[in-house]
Amino acid sequence: MDKRYEERSIAQDSRLLLKKADRDGVETVWDRFEHQQPQCGYCEMGLSCRICVMGPCRIDPFGEGPQRGVCGADADIIVARNLGRMIAAGAAAHSDHGRDLVEVLAAVAEGKADGYGIRDADKLMSMATEYGVATDGRDALAVAGDLAAAMQADYGTRKSELTLVRRAPEKRREVWKKLGITPRGIDRETSEMMHRTHMGVDNGWQSLLLHALRNALSDGWGGSMIATEVSDILYGTPKPTPTSANMGVLEEDQVNIVVHGHNPVVSEMVMLACQSEDLIALAREKGAAGINLAGLCCTGNELLMRHGIPMAGNHLTTELVLATGAVEMMIVDYQCIMPSLGQTASCYHTRMISTSDKARFPGMEHREFHPDNARELARTIVREAVENYDLRGEVYLPVTPVAALGGFSVEAIVGALGGTPEPLLDAIKAGKIRGAAGVVGCNNPRIKHDYGHVTLTRRLIENDILVVDTGCAAVATAKAGFKVADAIKYAGPGLKEICGALKIPPVLHMGSCVDNVRILVLASALADALGTDISDLPMAGAAPEWYSEKAAAIGCYFVASGVYTVLGPMPPITGSMNVVKLLTEGLNDAVGAAFAVEPDPEKAAVLIRRHVEEKRKRLGLDAKEV
Amino acid sequence: MKTVVVHPERCVGCMQCMAACATAHSRSKSLFSAIHERPLPRPRVHVGAGLCNEGFPNRCRHCDPAPCRMACLPGAISRDPDTGTVLIDPDRCINCASCAMACPFGVIRYHADPLGPPEKVVAVKCDNCIDRQAEGRIPACVEICKSGALAFEEISVAMKRKTDQVARTVSSDVGAAPSSPGFELLKAVKKVEAELRASGR
Amino acid sequence: MSYVIIGNGVAGVHAAEAIRRIDPDGEITLIGDELFPPYCRPMISLVLEGAVTPDALPIRNDRFYDDLGIAPILGSRVEDIDVDNRTVKIANGETVPFDKLLIASGADPRPIKAEGLDLKNIFYMRTEGHVRSMLTALPKVQKALVLGGGLVGFKAAYGLMRRGIATTMLIRSGHPLSMQVDAAAGELVRENLMGRGLDVRVGASVTAFEGRGRVERAVLADGTTLSCDMAVIGKGVLPALSFVPRDKIGVDLGVLVDAHQETGAKGIYAAGDAAESTDIARRSRWVNAIWPEAVDQGRIAGMNMAGRAVAYPGSLSRNVIRIFDMDVMSGGVVTPETDSVYDVIHFHDPKRKRYRKLVFREDRLAGFVLVNAVEQGGVMLSLIRSETPVVVPRERLAAPSFNWSTLLPRAG
Repeated sequence: MDKRYEERSIAQDSRLLLKKADRDGVETVWDRFEHQQPQCGYCEMGLSCRICVMGPCRIDPFGEGPQRGVCGADADIIVARNLGRMIAAGAAAHSDHGRDLVEVLAAVAEGKADGYGIRDADKLMSMATEYGVATDGRDALAVAGDLAAAMQADYGTRKSELTLVRRAPEKRREVWKKLGITPRGIDRETSEMMHRTHMGVDNGWQSLLLHALRNALSDGWGGSMIATEVSDILYGTPKPTPTSANMGVLEEDQVNIVVHGHNPVVSEMVMLACQSEDLIALAREKGAAGINLAGLCCTGNELLMRHGIPMAGNHLTTELVLATGAVEMMIVDYQCIMPSLGQTASCYHTRMISTSDKARFPGMEHREFHPDNARELARTIVREAVENYDLRGEVYLPVTPVAALGGFSVEAIVGALGGTPEPLLDAIKAGKIRGAAGVVGCNNPRIKHDYGHVTLTRRLIENDILVVDTGCAAVATAKAGFKVADAIKYAGPGLKEICGALKIPPVLHMGSCVDNVRILVLASALADALGTDISDLPMAGAAPEWYSEKAAAIGCYFVASGVYTVLGPMPPITGSMNVVKLLTEGLNDAVGAAFAVEPDPEKAAVLIRRHVEEKRKRLGLDAKEV
Repeated sequence: MKTVVVHPERCVGCMQCMAACATAHSRSKSLFSAIHERPLPRPRVHVGAGLCNEGFPNRCRHCDPAPCRMACLPGAISRDPDTGTVLIDPDRCINCASCAMACPFGVIRYHADPLGPPEKVVAVKCDNCIDRQAEGRIPACVEICKSGALAFEEISVAMKRKTDQVARTVSSDVGAAPSSPGFELLKAVKKVEAELRASGR
Repeated sequence: MSYVIIGNGVAGVHAAEAIRRIDPDGEITLIGDELFPPYCRPMISLVLEGAVTPDALPIRNDRFYDDLGIAPILGSRVEDIDVDNRTVKIANGETVPFDKLLIASGADPRPIKAEGLDLKNIFYMRTEGHVRSMLTALPKVQKALVLGGGLVGFKAAYGLMRRGIATTMLIRSGHPLSMQVDAAAGELVRENLMGRGLDVRVGASVTAFEGRGRVERAVLADGTTLSCDMAVIGKGVLPALSFVPRDKIGVDLGVLVDAHQETGAKGIYAAGDAAESTDIARRSRWVNAIWPEAVDQGRIAGMNMAGRAVAYPGSLSRNVIRIFDMDVMSGGVVTPETDSVYDVIHFHDPKRKRYRKLVFREDRLAGFVLVNAVEQGGVMLSLIRSETPVVVPRERLAAPSFNWSTLLPRAG
């Protein structure tokens, strides 16, 4: 294998398809990353400011050139403002995704969403109770309508705190109250961040960063949490489901349709269409054995979690999947969809369909989905995908898929434990499981593809730390074979024993990236059971290959919720050592947790193990030297 | 005599010198107009990526003797006696790329240039902004560089500083403290990333 | 001190200048075959092509001999060197005595064996005179034949095509530029040229030319004939050494010289296309008949002749050609034998029409071929020439992003 491909990814399918892409003259994200080098150091350090038109400005990190922007902002202010806006964008993305689901819920209540329905009525009722919506003797649709309205109110500005904040442990909410960072309205905190970072508003770098945490909390305990819970209501709460992963999930003899993006609203309807008899019959007429639906990124994770739909790959492989030549149609919604995909697809027969009114892409056909047309439109485009099978050319599928088990919602994990988190707590107390870690986040060409996720996860489970993962991290470890019951062979003796007894993998797939809130809910449950705060738990978060603003928001709501979080790539903050110090040390005093940055996953694993043992010690449990 | 001195450890890789250079070698001398000129003006300083993707502003060293000048077939390369600048005469240049074989730094490019004969592809490289200097202005790349990677200095002053710096390094066990801990931190992270990508792991 | 320089090519001219800088009073005699003032031989194809006029060719002005106080003997070839009596004999019988002699007689086109070579419109392309005769013939030419796929053949074919003449190239080996590039790059070049209308035939050679006074057709080895009204023979060059007494002066392919460009006969030097010195990349003796080496060798020979001991580090083969929109550069060892001491790395990007081949010996770069994106070739040549160990990952040198700073020590 050519060393160039080995340097880019550890995944065999990606390496082989990179070679094919090269042969086909297809440019990939890695090529573009290379062409961008060197990247601008001012921007990498957060020292460039484009906020107003007196600028743009940049600060000389060596102290001799300009030290203030035209407005007078110094490095601390500029770095904090830039980071604040980054988090605002991330929170906005998750939360707007959540809003779209609430709108589907409202449309279902009004009977204007053919094909959609209430799949988990129990969750509807329990959520309604949390939101103070009357449920007794009421029709599910009526409850749904009121719940949607109540949730929409969470987006606004009229509240003193978000409803779901009450899910956090008492001690945690006290911390937020004391700091004045309890999130009030989902849109409000984002809107306020944009206001604060306007020229001449908040020029205290500490107060800007505190608001960034509040903004992130409005995502984690607001927009994202609503997104996850409403998805469960509409499409079912995930239960352990067998599935498979890597590009081998595409079928040589079937019509392959790939859904990519984040929101399950479109892909659920596409899935229904793919299962309809008449379209399958049409596929057979075309000489295909059937219709094969596969996922990419978090739209893929949503379907995988609930229905076991196989997973073709994660963020960096989205172009390579097209290079298989086996995809009749890729249907995208939004977020993390590379604008290059349309051009990539033009080298093959693949038809590219964009579906969201807020997300358009060059080289894609725009077929806009709304709750009232989704079912029919899904059937129409799936039919077109089947018809496109006629145009299929050479297919290159050089790998066989890896089996995996998905679907570990909090409810499913508690279910696997026998209905209560106690067995997990007992295992932790006994030291068989040292602690838990949430390994989450994206891919980033700065880090060898999947290397960060897989290496970190391997080292953690080897050392008896249970790993829960989401997003692109979850896809990476599925491809690596960590998500089958048999994977306990990679685990340390204690974790092996517990997972073996429960017949669960040592790495639990908790869903898409909005589903990181499931980790918050699980952590709250464990903290409540111990009568402590989340920050007292022997747990940590990690984003070994993160790239996006959304991931920045997730990292911040993890830390603000009390979870020590290790980032792989460095955020654009090194222009201000004050900001660096606050985020990596100072926050410990404020929220009981902080960030660390460590691109080497071997070292990140050591940091997490050390942290877990330290927390164990403080809880009075046995602790090891790391 | 003043000359452009490169301090590579200060290059943050922003590529602003490239844009400023292309603008300075356009007809309009304005970035906003220059991007509409045909042929497009192009930079004569090139920020390349090092092994860990650190930036390096690679520009003509105006070597003496200049290998490009000795290799030039039509005798199009000469040295300006006042500034020591090695210049290429675009009218005499035959675009044979003999200078590309001669330049050990890889700083010469070949394209039609707004300041050269129309539609003729010629060898193009840094001219020390000799026209700007004649107007009493400093080279465009130096003017735009805010991190101190490109400086316009008396060569004797620059050499003395370097000599002193080497002397200090030799006479002291500790190296000079980094002048930007944040930039050092960023570089350290990027170095780890680069090494991990290149590693067999 | 009397100096005699055989050859008024670039090596001879640079030697004369070097001598004069050091020795203002010595007598310098320069014997040259060509009457045209010292000119840039690699540019003659540009005259054929029409890119430049012949007045762009001279590398020195017409006062050159006077200004340097040189006595030129032009239009004459040397017939013999009397090593013991320190004289050279010229074709007209005249003898010229010397204290120090430089053999910078260059090279002549390698002749071919074929019948009918005396027909009109069959040319070699080596001198300004050759091109001038070709230009005279051109107006009546519609179809030309170029023998040889080396640099000269290519430049001839390119020039003729630019003149709008239908051109067929006959190559005996499997691919063009076989002395300069590897098969992969040669194939890219062939495709490019054929795409532009050149008719390339590999594995073909001519046994005879036929015609009435003027060439009308060529008979190939396989018995077929090709009609043409012009033929250019570009089958390489051979050092012009018929006058060198081989019992007194060591000759292999070229005149053998030491690190000071001096032959085994004391006081007699050689430089340029006629000299055979150490090739840095090959680590063996080699004739690198290229312009920049002639410049260097001439200058160094001149300095040594004038008494200043200067060592020559060795020569390095290299070339760059531009054909339509394709650039090809090569240097050092480009086609090592398999299972040899060399390691090879390839990089091919068909979309951007880029090809790179790097040849390493142990930790040193020994050669390369670049098709397009040739700007960093000088950095590679400098690595080869300085024999610098390559400590960065080798793939970095083949990557499109390769630049000088790739070789800098790591940050931090």
